[in-house]
Amino acid sequence: MPSSTSNFKRKLRLPRLFFAKPSEITPRDYERPIPQVPWRGITVIVVLIVIGATSAWEFYCRSIGYGPTLNDNEDLWTMTRRRVKPESVVIIGDSRAWFDVDLDELQKGLGKRPVQLAMGGSCAYPVLADLVHDESFHGTIICSVVPRLFVTPPGAPPMERAEKVVRRFHTQTPAQRASQYLGMPLEEHVAFLKQEELTLDELLKRLPIPNRASALVPPRLPPYFGTLDRERRSRMIEECARSGKLQSTVQQIWLPLFSPPPLPTYIPKDKFMAKMKQATEQRFNDVAAAVQKLRARGGKIVFVRFPLSGELKKLEDRITPRTGIWDRVIKDTAAPGIYYEDFPELSEFNCPESSHLSAGDSVEFSKRLVPHLRKALQL
Amino acid sequence: MLFNSLTFVVFFAIVVTAYWSMRSWNARKNLLVVASYIFYGAWNPPFGALLFSTTAMDFWLGARIAKAKGRHARRAWLIASVCMNLSMLGFFKYGNFLLQNFQWLLARLGIIYQPPHLDILLPVGISFYTFHSLSYTLDVYRGVLQPTKSLRDFVLAVSFFPQLVAGPIVRAGDFLPQLVTPPGLRAGQFLWGLLLMTLGLFEKIVLADTMLSGSADRIFSYPGPLVAFDSWLGVMAFAGQIFFDFAGYSICAIGAALCLGFHLKDNFRFPYAAIGFSDFWRRWHISLSTFLRDYLYIPLGGNQVRPVRAAINLVIVMFLGGLWHGAAWTFVVWGLLHGSYLVIERVIRVFFEDAAWANNVATRLLAGFATYAAVSIAWVFFRASDFTIATRMLRGMFGGHPHGDAILSTREILQIGIVIACMILVHWALRESNIETAVTRLPRWLVTTAWAVMACAIILTQGSSNAFIYFQF
Repeated sequence: MPSSTSNFKRKLRLPRLFFAKPSEITPRDYERPIPQVPWRGITVIVVLIVIGATSAWEFYCRSIGYGPTLNDNEDLWTMTRRRVKPESVVIIGDSRAWFDVDLDELQKGLGKRPVQLAMGGSCAYPVLADLVHDESFHGTIICSVVPRLFVTPPGAPPMERAEKVVRRFHTQTPAQRASQYLGMPLEEHVAFLKQEELTLDELLKRLPIPNRASALVPPRLPPYFGTLDRERRSRMIEECARSGKLQSTVQQIWLPLFSPPPLPTYIPKDKFMAKMKQATEQRFNDVAAAVQKLRARGGKIVFVRFPLSGELKKLEDRITPRTGIWDRVIKDTAAPGIYYEDFPELSEFNCPESSHLSAGDSVEFSKRLVPHLRKALQL
Repeated sequence: MLFNSLTFVVFFAIVVTAYWSMRSWNARKNLLVVASYIFYGAWNPPFGALLFSTTAMDFWLGARIAKAKGRHARRAWLIASVCMNLSMLGFFKYGNFLLQNFQWLLARLGIIYQPPHLDILLPVGISFYTFHSLSYTLDVYRGVLQPTKSLRDFVLAVSFFPQLVAGPIVRAGDFLPQLVTPPGLRAGQFLWGLLLMTLGLFEKIVLADTMLSGSADRIFSYPGPLVAFDSWLGVMAFAGQIFFDFAGYSICAIGAALCLGFHLKDNFRFPYAAIGFSDFWRRWHISLSTFLRDYLYIPLGGNQVRPVRAAINLVIVMFLGGLWHGAAWTFVVWGLLHGSYLVIERVIRVFFEDAAWANNVATRLLAGFATYAAVSIAWVFFRASDFTIATRMLRGMFGGHPHGDAILSTREILQIGIVIACMILVHWALRESNIETAVTRLPRWLVTTAWAVMACAIILTQGSSNAFIYFQF
């Protein structure tokens, strides 16, 4: 007859599975070879070289004008997107809403701190659609309109950029979230951490190597000219706000970026243009439907055309006149719109590099924008 | 969790420090189990439960196989294990693919059927850990492995984080013996592990993602016709990218395991210096090819059957090998192409193996070049998302678009040319050797400089990198 002790042991058998002693499996019979070299000495020298080279690169980057700032990647955007509450004020669109809006001034004027979801070189539609798709959201959207970006077709970089961040918001893994939190303190202190400019890939792209005539080389993006904080508030750096080499470089870079790209050779011109027209019409319809859906559940939206200057303004006015896209958006959505040129107090600003306001002007501009926003939103 | 992420750097530093601080071997193994599940759960926590349930089932079935009396009973328990593992894989990986093909088949018969789209999220690395786990019951059945009595040890063998999500496919029979006694660190083992991790990350982040992936993506996504030069460069870029991506992951896994005192076998052995396709599969994804050889090809009869039957077996194995990589017919065609290559090679060997000229240097080089070209052609089907793209690429490669577009920049051409040329040279130089021997023979200053340059290049890429290609498998 088993004793009470043995019964007790039997009851514990299942947990013992997890902590059983090693089985009859025989110990290892395979070991990788280890190269016989003086590992400690080599490691010490490697560590010293890496520290030295990294420090030298950091000093060099600072000496040519770079400063530490956050990178605007999909994880930072996702972090900000998580702050959107059902009644939030949300800013969406392109880099003009990103640089030109001061969150403090809008908070003072609108009573709520806006969530900054605008993004450089991106189309507003995917973010608008995502907010509208979120049934709990019935807040206010301030949407910047840069016509070419607003109607950019699916598959083009401005759409892909916006779709990528929306996708990340819905699929972000705990590991990606952790990497963002770990990376931010580094980015805030190290100047060479610039994912869009000082990576090996970007440095190689800048090599002055002549190309074949037919090579498809995307236009260059502007160099570092703004900083970003954890709320994704972007501010132009002083060096760009002043006349000088950086300012004129950025001015020159915008022109090819905002010019229509060459037509593809693999599709007849008329067929391509018809396809583009169809995509643009589709965008107008999608935006109108999204706005209607938002309003149906009590949400509000206001479209804003932010200031621009110089050659870029001439270019945009020529290829995307107000009567083309802006008027159509306002008409189709029946939503309020604020076109900076309609108001003297908004149109007297000068964009130093043609496309964005300086950090100081963005505060004053936001202050002047608030009454128009309040009126448009009937606050 | 990606090896090329800041989270992993912190995670690995904490795990290694805690691991070597502990004296108890059981405590260390417990730590590794917890760490492995955190590593896996950092992608999608609920799928940790799926991983555990698969593992626990195979642990139990392994014990049943060992205890079963009689061949039929043993076989029944094995079939239960195979069905459980493959149905899990089938549901998550092939569910929608099977439904689509079923719909297509019915449509051919004139029946209109609209299947529901199953919104199934593929658990990362399911193809790998299913094979880790399955190898256990298969080896217990074959009598080459005693079942372990410790569920914890088996859980660790399946989920050991360095090899969990993208291989190598480490068989339980290779890993469980390493859990019997605590590992010691031989002189230089930890630092050699770190160097291997640096090399793996360099291959992935710098060579695959920075130097090659952009060009490969541009060529394969270009909607128009391309000239032969650009088409071939795009395919060569992808051939290099997938090697550096996957071999880089494997080297990282081997290095991380070494830092923890474990020894994983090579998964790649300079495959682009292969002479012939059987040689290629002895060098490429070795853990998968040996898995398929031992558990599928040999049970089907292997070479011990009539030549025609052996050829059919080869094609079946490669067909399934292709399907293992992804639920798409393009992967199947890739597998079938490799199956055909292997059959053709066997036929050629029958006629020419003993010829004197077959073994001279020029012939071997030519055969090596032909192998590389044929493998690259097969990669077109692996990379292309559909047959339209694959057909367009192949047409471009074989001169079908003489007036097509030439879109690559000079920088991209140089990057592909230099990286691929260096890769092939290194593969040929080391084809009969291994990396450990090479490092031992190299001058110390060169090892030091190479390690430092790789580390600096990784830092310079700033983690702006993609997920490993093999994660999706």
